[in-house]
Amino acid sequence: MVDIVTTKYSPLPGVTSSIILVPLIPVTLIYGIREFSGLALVDSGATGGLISTVIAEDLGIEWDNIPVRYGGCIGGLFRFRPIENLKVEIYGHTFQLRLAIGEGLSPYKFVLGQADLFHQAKITFEEYKKQFTIEFRKLN
Amino acid sequence: MFVMEKKINFVKLLKNYRKGWVAISADFKRVVFSGKTLASTRKKAKDYKDKLYYFPSGEKYSDFFG
Repeated sequence: MVDIVTTKYSPLPGVTSSIILVPLIPVTLIYGIREFSGLALVDSGATGGLISTVIAEDLGIEWDNIPVRYGGCIGGLFRFRPIENLKVEIYGHTFQLRLAIGEGLSPYKFVLGQADLFHQAKITFEEYKKQFTIEFRKLN
Repeated sequence: MFVMEKKINFVKLLKNYRKGWVAISADFKRVVFSGKTLASTRKKAKDYKDKLYYFPSGEKYSDFFG
């Protein structure tokens, strides 16, 4: 289990510039007996975490049976559905997370925000070094 | 324990892949499988034993405000 992880921002292909640098971490989502491993954007500006409907389907979640709710984002309203009983594993730490399934997410399909990852760890962004550090809380 | 992770270079990894999904090796150095959808990429990886990380390909990420 890793308690403190410093990660360099990941270069991703851009539109106006050829490369942009973003904070991404490897995460495994666990829903019942199904798992999805992917890379999530660590977004300090997001109230909560989101996964796309495609990832929800991969986990066997019948998302269209969950009552829809509306959330705000910088561009207006978006539709989402909260998920229960979802666990995540990040750098050997496994915990329950509050996430939601967002419709029409683009380009990022998997985002972690304040209500989830930021409750489990202290996260320090060092933009000038193009890196960030996750320090997991010792809860036991 | 403290770990310094190296950056994952998606520009290099995703260079030759059109819109769809890729399955990336656990050391983040190569794309092992790819497909037009997450489901089709998963299907190709069905018998693969090692851990894979799935990521969308063919997206453009700049000018994102979130």
